[in-house]
Amino acid sequence: MAAVTGLLASLWLSAASHAASPVQEAQQAELERVRLQIADQVQLVAFDLVDEMVVSLRDDPVFDKPTPVVLADVTVPVGLGAGMASLVENHLATVLLANPDTHLQLVHCPSCTAVVVHSGPEATVISRGHDQPETLEKLGVGTGQHALFVDVEAEGAFLVLRARLTRLTESQPIVWSHTVATSASTPALLRQPDGLTTASEARAEYLDALRDRGPIAVPLRFAVRTFARPDEGVAAPPFVWLQSGVELGVTDAQAWTSSILVGYSFIPQAYQGIMGQARVHRLLTGRARSHIKPDLYGFVGAAVISVWGPATGAFSSEVLTADEIIAALEEEGPRTSFGTLQVGLDLRVGQRIGLSTFLETIPDYANSPNFGNYVRVGLGFQSLGSEVTFWF
Amino acid sequence: MISVAFLPLLFPAAPAPGLARSRAWARQYDCERISDEVALQRYPGRVRPSSPEEDPDRTVVICHQRLLSEGLREPRDEAVLRDLRDTADAIAVATEGLRPGLGEVTWLVDVHYPDGEVADKIGFATKNALMKRSLSVSDRVPLLTASDLGVLTRMPPEQAYPKACRRYHDTGSLGDDEVLVAVVQLDVRQTTLLAGICHQGRWGWLP
Repeated sequence: MAAVTGLLASLWLSAASHAASPVQEAQQAELERVRLQIADQVQLVAFDLVDEMVVSLRDDPVFDKPTPVVLADVTVPVGLGAGMASLVENHLATVLLANPDTHLQLVHCPSCTAVVVHSGPEATVISRGHDQPETLEKLGVGTGQHALFVDVEAEGAFLVLRARLTRLTESQPIVWSHTVATSASTPALLRQPDGLTTASEARAEYLDALRDRGPIAVPLRFAVRTFARPDEGVAAPPFVWLQSGVELGVTDAQAWTSSILVGYSFIPQAYQGIMGQARVHRLLTGRARSHIKPDLYGFVGAAVISVWGPATGAFSSEVLTADEIIAALEEEGPRTSFGTLQVGLDLRVGQRIGLSTFLETIPDYANSPNFGNYVRVGLGFQSLGSEVTFWF
Repeated sequence: MISVAFLPLLFPAAPAPGLARSRAWARQYDCERISDEVALQRYPGRVRPSSPEEDPDRTVVICHQRLLSEGLREPRDEAVLRDLRDTADAIAVATEGLRPGLGEVTWLVDVHYPDGEVADKIGFATKNALMKRSLSVSDRVPLLTASDLGVLTRMPPEQAYPKACRRYHDTGSLGDDEVLVAVVQLDVRQTTLLAGICHQGRWGWLP
């Protein structure tokens, strides 16, 4: 009993001496979080390198006919864990299966990747099976197979993939090797496994996509403008606009764009309006427009609006009386023109559809009793707009 | 005027460290200076084309953030892995001067580095660098007996490697038509790797 107690005590002491302090645990947890984040970032780039390797094997096959190959080892950057190795291994198997022109037939060989021990008169050797082809032969695994080794490593700012094919004979000759590197800051090419292209072809596709509609696009926009209610009196009604025009991207990156649009608004028996508008947009999320993620633009602009109709009486600098409102409803109403300045945000998805909102100041009516202010930052913003845009 | 003259020193262009950027932050980046033409080709839309008024020989500094930030790996491993491509290429280039005298041989690679995982990667890179130069390379590693290793590991490296080379030859582990490239780290504090070759029992360090 005393011996058991002593054993338990020593185990406890041993466990206590190895237990990490809370600070160390927090550091370990933080390191793991950073590792996971980096693995997420480099995973697509690693897949890209695997694709590139398979493209080179497809375009210039090592073997003339389909040949059995053991996927012997896939290793990933030191510090990023085995989970990423499994993902890279699965991706490699997927693209090899989808590209039989590579003439590499993946085969299952548990003895090749297992640790084997061979004891002979000269020595006892412990190693992986593929390092001892003679032992594999004794285990009944046919010789002459090939083993594929793949290694991905982070070297500074670059991710480097190395691969080699070794014939599993006694001399273990390397029959093919491949090294390819890419920068992790390069966008992943996202090639289809059954339609692999070379890096230059994929890059050309990417640039074509970047320039898909050239520098000029035609937006079609539905906008609603509301006007802030004054402390007293009648507010101007909301206006619904249909707008179209042209938008010009300054560079391929579409970081800066400008647009000129004209618009028309019509509500029967209420009002009509026409407008012209110019804006300059600046991309806020990144330095180039993304094809896979939404883009947020900020913009400033100016518009000239002309409205008329029975419901446009509020576009005045004077207080409206009840008689004036009733009289306006019975007549066509006055025709009023004014200028505005805008500032807003525009969220776009793939340059196909966008949602935007903006604040607008109307200098002519800054002191009008018929308009309140949504926001006042030195300047009062009397109008708030929301828009849905489609690009063609 | 004098204080204005010091501003570029206090606030240098990114990613140089200065008042606004720490040295640790600057160390996250690898930078290279490339020609304007190459920069426009490699990074379309991200490099501003030069205007006719600008210097036609304008160069562009491209900086990439390192993939793994400091602290994620052992500093020694990080230093070795960061320059792995250059190290492997340098070893392969250093063998070029020896090849005419060696004739048709098969090249073997062995790595002596404290961390096995990193050692595998060094070996992988070296083999590929040799293959790139159209050499005949094998995945085989020559072996020594446990008793040989027992003696060799007690000797200083300057004596151990020539002795090991002799033993490889005497035991037949390394054939006459085979050359072993051994990539070694002589001191665990070193971040540079040395390479030597063993052929027909003779050992020599590569320059």
